[in-house]
Amino acid sequence: MDNFSVLIVDDEVEFLETLVKRLRKRKIKVEGVTGGESALRSLKEIPVDIVVLDVKMPGMGGLETLREIKRAYPLIEVIMLTGHANMEVAMEGMDLGAFDYLMKPTDIDDLLYKIQDAYKRKCLNEKSALEETKGASK
Amino acid sequence: MSFIRRCLDKLGIGKGERSAPSDPESLRTAFQARYHNFKLLLSANNKALQIMSELEDALKGNRPFGMSFIRANCTAVSVNVFRMVKCMDDLAPGRYKDLFERFREIQASITEELSREREPETGPFVLDLGSMDKTHADEAGNKMANLGEIRNRLGLRVPCGFTVTSHAYREFMRAGDLQTEIDRLLQSSPAEEMDQLFSLSGQIQQLIIRSPIPEELEEAIRSAYRRLEEMEGQGVKISMRSSALGEDSSDTSFAGQYRSELNVSAENIIEAYKEVAASKYSLQAIIYRLNKGIPDENIDMCVGCMSMVNAVAGGVVYSKNPLNVRDDRVFIHSVWGLPKSVVDGSVSADLFAVSRSEPHQVVERHISEKSQKFVCYPDEGVCRLEITGEVSSTASLSDAAALELAEIALRIEDHYNGPQDIEWALDENGNMFILQCRPLRQTDATSKNGHLSARLPAGEVLFSGGMAASAGAGCGPIFVVRKESDSLLFPRGAVLVVKQALPRWAALLSRAAALIADQGTSAGHLANVAREFRVPALFGVGNALELLETGRTVTVDADGLRIYEGRIDSLLSESDDRRSLMEGSPVFETLKKVSEKIVPLHLIDPDSTDFRPLRCRTFHDITRLCHENSVKEMFSFGKDHHFSEKASKQLVCEIPMQWWVLNLDDGFREDVAGKFVHLDNIASIPMLALWKGIIAVPWEGPPPVDSKGFMSILLEASSNPALDPSMPSPYGNRNYFMISRNFCSLSSRFGFHFSTIEALVGERANENYISFGFKGGAADAARRTRRARFVAEILEEFDFRCELNDDGVMARIEGFDEELMKEKLEILGYLIIHTRQLDMVMSNDASCRHHKTKLLGDIATVILESPLDSGPVVQE
Repeated sequence: MDNFSVLIVDDEVEFLETLVKRLRKRKIKVEGVTGGESALRSLKEIPVDIVVLDVKMPGMGGLETLREIKRAYPLIEVIMLTGHANMEVAMEGMDLGAFDYLMKPTDIDDLLYKIQDAYKRKCLNEKSALEETKGASK
Repeated sequence: MSFIRRCLDKLGIGKGERSAPSDPESLRTAFQARYHNFKLLLSANNKALQIMSELEDALKGNRPFGMSFIRANCTAVSVNVFRMVKCMDDLAPGRYKDLFERFREIQASITEELSREREPETGPFVLDLGSMDKTHADEAGNKMANLGEIRNRLGLRVPCGFTVTSHAYREFMRAGDLQTEIDRLLQSSPAEEMDQLFSLSGQIQQLIIRSPIPEELEEAIRSAYRRLEEMEGQGVKISMRSSALGEDSSDTSFAGQYRSELNVSAENIIEAYKEVAASKYSLQAIIYRLNKGIPDENIDMCVGCMSMVNAVAGGVVYSKNPLNVRDDRVFIHSVWGLPKSVVDGSVSADLFAVSRSEPHQVVERHISEKSQKFVCYPDEGVCRLEITGEVSSTASLSDAAALELAEIALRIEDHYNGPQDIEWALDENGNMFILQCRPLRQTDATSKNGHLSARLPAGEVLFSGGMAASAGAGCGPIFVVRKESDSLLFPRGAVLVVKQALPRWAALLSRAAALIADQGTSAGHLANVAREFRVPALFGVGNALELLETGRTVTVDADGLRIYEGRIDSLLSESDDRRSLMEGSPVFETLKKVSEKIVPLHLIDPDSTDFRPLRCRTFHDITRLCHENSVKEMFSFGKDHHFSEKASKQLVCEIPMQWWVLNLDDGFREDVAGKFVHLDNIASIPMLALWKGIIAVPWEGPPPVDSKGFMSILLEASSNPALDPSMPSPYGNRNYFMISRNFCSLSSRFGFHFSTIEALVGERANENYISFGFKGGAADAARRTRRARFVAEILEEFDFRCELNDDGVMARIEGFDEELMKEKLEILGYLIIHTRQLDMVMSNDASCRHHKTKLLGDIATVILESPLDSGPVVQE
């Protein structure tokens, strides 16, 4: 079940490193990058299942990054994780197809459950997509 | 959005109906996707309900919270309700479109409440004191506006200077998105404990001090200083004091919560400005705002800059007695050197009382031993000097100067039409300067004082004397705070003991039962804040630190000037009037307004015609509607698609009732082909626990009904068609289980009442929950309501949180581990069987008691006594 890979995107280096370390201790395949541009570059090289994305970042912001990820990889599930409790931004993120919008500080286990739920959704979406193509080719 | 929709459509996701799959494998996949959606909907539902109960809890006003609490919860609840609406749309595409609209409207109205920002007014960065009066309070803060007022309208002597305005502060915060970053820190740091708040405060202040201030702003400050130099001479040193918006008003003094910089030289003005501005986020100021429900965003830090008075003596005047409304004498606290040591509470001060009536006279005079004074260094800053010899015990103020001060105080009082708290300084040429004036808060301890002193309570007196700095009595264990780090460990409800009554200890006051200080005066900032928070305080105890060791329980009677060993109840009962400071505050009112759009539930009865999307008025309504309908949508799948595998099976069991089971995922041990499923093929942990309770005690059949009870049923049945068991309803007169290994939902009509149980029980203890809903009955309203209360009372015995609504009960419990959750489910299973038709006999309270005793007895002997691992629960 936990055989998935995660990319964390957050400009706060200390937070990023701690989170990556803690998830690795839980045997999760996880990488971290500090910005939207590098996230998109990284996704080109190494595909992942789940992206955990900060909202407020210098350069390409979280919402912009989310839009790009969803355009290029519609099946990747994105969880927003941010220190900004802003309802409008949260709703925009959800509209863009974010799986969830979580606020710091968040419990590491809760985050992990969310990641698992998001991964399950991704698997189901992939399966449906596969059957759809099978159905079409019949 | 539309693009993603198109992508997903292409991939065949989320539009199950349109591309209706027909082969078993596709149906299975489609069902899995539905089930996952359903699970996500349930988890969002739980989260949303949890946030709502947190909001309700905060609305009791018993604990402090800030705007960031409100914002975070509003955002989280919106996200979760939105997820539910989306899941609903995935479960039944298009059928709940109206929910999106309702959601947007409610969400927009919440956003509106939250973003009532002040207009981004523009104005000067700097105002000269010579051109100011009290109408400038919104730009310059009360403190500087008041000084401008008495200088320019009353002609009193106030040092020359200028104010760096609120416009300047906002410009500083806007530049480089400083405020956004501060808000982020406030939002994302855990701040429940003192040490977390302490580091948060440090982080934010550092951030502000490190940030460069905008060039224009710097230039405005520098040119104001050059104008001051023209008046006061080149290189004039200045004092820089906070003059925040909202500071120094009568309800919220913020006394001493912000920073002042004294004797600042030209080269350090900008640094000092940033430090004073940063002190908006000092630990004590953060806690003060939190406890008083003042939103951070309402506070702009203005900074008052005035030429420094190198005082030979200084202090504070109260134009009336702060602790006694009947005492109208003028009180003057005076020390050698700068007035700093009076307001800091670091040194004992001389006290003069001057009669109000003319001719004014010094009617009381206490000369203290003043061992230290603060004076200006020649270049910058202030230093503390020891006072030795005769001077230390000589009066720091002549009677003539005291009378002059009293007259000034009365003039200011007269001008503002209320008692005043005034800081003054006397320079070496005998000129009296006013440095600050603000309304004086008077508390009335005298009525209590009167009769309390008449009957002294029995008890060992540990100390007697000192001075009351804040009225009342409090009891708790002693906690001595010597240094900053001690304060991080200060326990709630303890008696705070400190050497000096320094303003920084104010951060602990909201948690202290009482306050004792060796040194300090009732004129100090700490005393001010203690009075505001109604924390009894006794100052000038002299050797409390030696006398009182941490851990010992004492009662502090500030009115009677005594400290007692242990708890003296007779003193405490009289002074237990610490009100909630949150209620009525701006933050509290905001929470109230947004909660109105979130918490109330109007959609109560699923059978009502009002139970539809367009009738949703709050987020709670939306969650209720989504939840109820998602269950129905899950059921309809097998039927709609003629897919037997995901249609419900009848349970083969010994109970003569019809039970149907729908396997959502891994609820069966093995797949079932036919129309029946045997109990031993059930793998659902919560269903098995529930079942164990259902069969625990055989039902004795309907209770014997008296003729009145029977009549009431006939009457109700004829007037309420829903009670007709032959009426078609979504579930008919049957009992439906939907199960997976860790999940179970049971919808049932037992006789005439409707009940639902939903449970998630597994290893993720913090996701475990049971919810129970119960509504209806066949008897008249009074009996049905009595039964609902009856059920709630029993559930509350077992830690369920219950909410009654006419003849309905909603109950929840969550967060316990698997074993305990199973036990709760057994109790529920037992209850749903044995409360059947009980409403008919609920004619009076005695009958309720009788049945309650029986049911509780059964639960105790049959359910709780039976070992939990026996029975039909089978682990894989």
